[in-house]
Amino acid sequence: MEAGKSSSDLEQEVFSQDLCTSCGACVNICPYIKVVKDKVAVIEPCGLTEGKCYDFCPRTLTDIAALDRSVFGKTRTDYSLGPYISIEMAQAKDSEVRCRAQYGGVVSALIKYALDTGEISNAVLTRPFDVALMPSSVLAEESSQSLECAGSNYISSATLAKMNEATKQGKDSLGLVGIPCQVMALRKMQSSKHETRAKGVKLVIGLFCTWALSYKGFSEFLREKVDLSKVRRIDIPPPPANIMVVETAAGDARFSLDEVRKFIKPTCGVCYDMTSEFADISVGMVEGIEDWNTLIVRTPAGRKFIDKAKKAGVINAKPLEQTRLEHLKQASSIKKKRAVDAIQKRTNDKKNLLYLRLSAQEKKKYV
Amino acid sequence: MVTLELNQPGKTVLMMGDEAIARGAIEAGVDFCASYPGTPATEIPESLARVADRFNIYAEWSTNEIVAFEAATAASLAGLRAIVAMKQNGVNVCADFLMTVNLAGTNGGLVLVAADDPSAISSSNEQDSRSYARYADLPLLEPADFQEAKDMTKWAFEVSEKLGLPCILRSVTRLSHSRGNVKLGELPEKKRAAKFEGVYISGAFVAAQHAALHQKLEQAREIFEGSRFNFYVGPKKAKFVIVTSGSGWLYSREAVAALGLEGKVGILKMGTTWPLPEKFVVDHLKNVTEILIVEEVDPFLEQNIKILLAEQAKTLGPIEVYGAKSGHLPAYGEMNQDKVTAALASIKGLQPKTRDEKYIEKSREAITCIPLRMPTFCTGCPHRASLWVIKSALKLDGRDGFVTGDIGCYSLGAGPAGYFQLKTIHCMGAGIGLANGFGKLDKFGFNQPVIAVCGDSTFYHAAIPALINARVNNSNVLMVVLDNGGTAMTGFQPHPGSGFDACGRPAPTVEIENICKAIGVEVRVRDPFEVSQAVQDIYDMLQENGPRVMVFRRRCFRIEAKEKLQEKYYVDQTKCIGDDCGCARFCSRVFNCPGIIWDQEAQKAKIDEVVCTGCGVCATLCPRGAIMVRGAAS
Repeated sequence: MEAGKSSSDLEQEVFSQDLCTSCGACVNICPYIKVVKDKVAVIEPCGLTEGKCYDFCPRTLTDIAALDRSVFGKTRTDYSLGPYISIEMAQAKDSEVRCRAQYGGVVSALIKYALDTGEISNAVLTRPFDVALMPSSVLAEESSQSLECAGSNYISSATLAKMNEATKQGKDSLGLVGIPCQVMALRKMQSSKHETRAKGVKLVIGLFCTWALSYKGFSEFLREKVDLSKVRRIDIPPPPANIMVVETAAGDARFSLDEVRKFIKPTCGVCYDMTSEFADISVGMVEGIEDWNTLIVRTPAGRKFIDKAKKAGVINAKPLEQTRLEHLKQASSIKKKRAVDAIQKRTNDKKNLLYLRLSAQEKKKYV
Repeated sequence: MVTLELNQPGKTVLMMGDEAIARGAIEAGVDFCASYPGTPATEIPESLARVADRFNIYAEWSTNEIVAFEAATAASLAGLRAIVAMKQNGVNVCADFLMTVNLAGTNGGLVLVAADDPSAISSSNEQDSRSYARYADLPLLEPADFQEAKDMTKWAFEVSEKLGLPCILRSVTRLSHSRGNVKLGELPEKKRAAKFEGVYISGAFVAAQHAALHQKLEQAREIFEGSRFNFYVGPKKAKFVIVTSGSGWLYSREAVAALGLEGKVGILKMGTTWPLPEKFVVDHLKNVTEILIVEEVDPFLEQNIKILLAEQAKTLGPIEVYGAKSGHLPAYGEMNQDKVTAALASIKGLQPKTRDEKYIEKSREAITCIPLRMPTFCTGCPHRASLWVIKSALKLDGRDGFVTGDIGCYSLGAGPAGYFQLKTIHCMGAGIGLANGFGKLDKFGFNQPVIAVCGDSTFYHAAIPALINARVNNSNVLMVVLDNGGTAMTGFQPHPGSGFDACGRPAPTVEIENICKAIGVEVRVRDPFEVSQAVQDIYDMLQENGPRVMVFRRRCFRIEAKEKLQEKYYVDQTKCIGDDCGCARFCSRVFNCPGIIWDQEAQKAKIDEVVCTGCGVCATLCPRGAIMVRGAAS
């Protein structure tokens, strides 16, 4: 969006400022930017003055209203949750799916359904606990793979790097499940003036996210407590518990969230998006209800797909109570406010919001 | 190599300096030869190994120079004749043994060939090894041409036997590696049988041994006084004499001729330079008022002559000495005729004649036609991939990690060929030695990861004690052994991991990873051509503490390409989109293998099929997948 910025600028403004989200948008589009685990780096400056890498990054200039127009054809009116058509509660009908999933199993069920029906040909997913806790991005061709990718371990993987690899091979009609920064980067790619095959992603399911942990810090911490190869599930029960529960084949480990918070990626502190506001469909937990999800339908394409899935009996849905909706909006607003505060603290300038370009209304609410 | 075996005394043949030395050793009836490769003297052991069966010689490539010297000394102690050849750095490795074997003495003739590399054409330092002779009180011979290289070598064995001391024969790159006429001598009938007797201990009654050593040196001086390798040429009563040794002899003759000074300037040519045959020198400097000293590298002869002149001031009167100290000749770099001519002309107030008035101008013009080429790795070289992997992993790690280097082809990694990764280079083994120390600086706030690279041959030669040190002191270091299957830089001589010996016969192997395991360090083995997996491995290993070893194993492609036909690669120019790619010519500009060129006409990448060895690494790195194997389905 901002002309004339290169990989060196990306390095300076994002990587060296600890702002990289490891989304992978800049990886696998050139030979210079690589990722290992959740570390992304410019191996060698390519020498070009203008780079896709810079433009695609979710932490370079992002005009929220412009992205709204590009994805939704209009700007938002809800400044907490972004544009949406409907919000409801949902769960997978299949109890096995629910059982394997983090909460209500909606994402796993929807991806399985999309692959089975040919809605998408492949899905870019994240398999948690792949090698010693590090999740891996996978290109799923079969619906059975969807369940392997259920659950979360609070570490982000470079999902878009896998997507770039897939689109380079000519794959289109892709589905993608990602966290807000990944979804934001994907939409920046799709609306970029640069040549990109990211338009081949037809279904974007965004996850709710409050923060992600850095692999190195968290895995070293957890290695002291449990055998990493035996980890099956990691969960953070709703407040006021303030704990993290790590389920392993050899029993559970619990510890205070305060111990874990120091491994939160610094970039998550400046994140303005909790609910994947640019996805077709956003899915997250319902606080206090273990086996249901919050389901936000945002685009007409998302609406059409969810209607089909409901009709096919893939998911059950029911209205989200008003108090829970208010609670969700409040949580999202808190994240936005915190992000703006953190950015201002970084820049030491009330007007300099780093990568964020907000509308006057949003500024009024959060700045 | 047939000439080495020729039994035709008196026949003149063309020989490389090293071959002449080998022939001299054969004519002396040499029995034993040990060496470490990669030196101006490499062809000495190689030549002897080739005729090992014919002359019943034992020849080995040793793990390092001190082991070679000790092994050769054993042969001497058993009454045999032995030769050991190395370059200046090798003499340093031997120094500890050298400073004791001089006191303990030897038996059979033992010759140490120190082949110096002036200007460090293929070395990490420039050094004049002659000082070791003075330092260790050992006799020193300096052949000045090919005939002398043979004859002096033969004589060196006799000198050594007479004195009971190793004799040092100093060569330089230009003598060892150029060719000239050599008149062959007789081949001896070898009769020696090995038997050890006596006691050779340095450390008992050392002062007495040292005194006895000085007496031996006086004995050497006596022998040298009558040596035919010291002689004078020129006018009978010359007032101006060039005193020279080694390669300086031929340069001096040419310089005198070039300036037309044959009738005025004499040349005193010294073949035995330590200890100086003082009587001989003094005899030839009577009536002389000016001397110019011509030698290669240090003012070794110059200083010794000056001491002699001071001692003999009453006899000789004042003599003006020109040389390094006076600034007429450099005490560094290779000597050549031009330098000597310039020195002589400047002293004599003459204008040296140049070949062509416009010679310098013309040559400058010609240079502009030569494309600028940086020193680089061969096409297909595993080091290029290894250093790209290391660069990538260090960049991903992001803690300003760096590489301590070592001596080998991979020393080029300090330059653009290896993406400027090596930040230190010293002697063999110094990479891991330094890394050892860096890895213990954490309590001083040091948090940069350190990678020590080391070649396979270097690993055996000099790296193991430092690795043990890293293990017992739990130093945070990642050692990367660049295992290309042999001592590749120097002509692919075998090392302990190669499985064959100096004569090409099968030999047992000592595996690098087994040594690492025995030391107790984590070791992984990986093919550096699997770039992306290798990057992950190095990145992961960088996150760990304590000593770790990665063996990047991939045979030197120069050898691989000779042994089997390699795949042919080409750029599919319908897939390569040139400057539209966004890769900014990664393959030809950044990865920078000489096998990939930029096709100016098509404005796309292209493989130079003449140069390409078909390693295929570029094909895995091209973002468009445009580099393909010829004949394979796309």
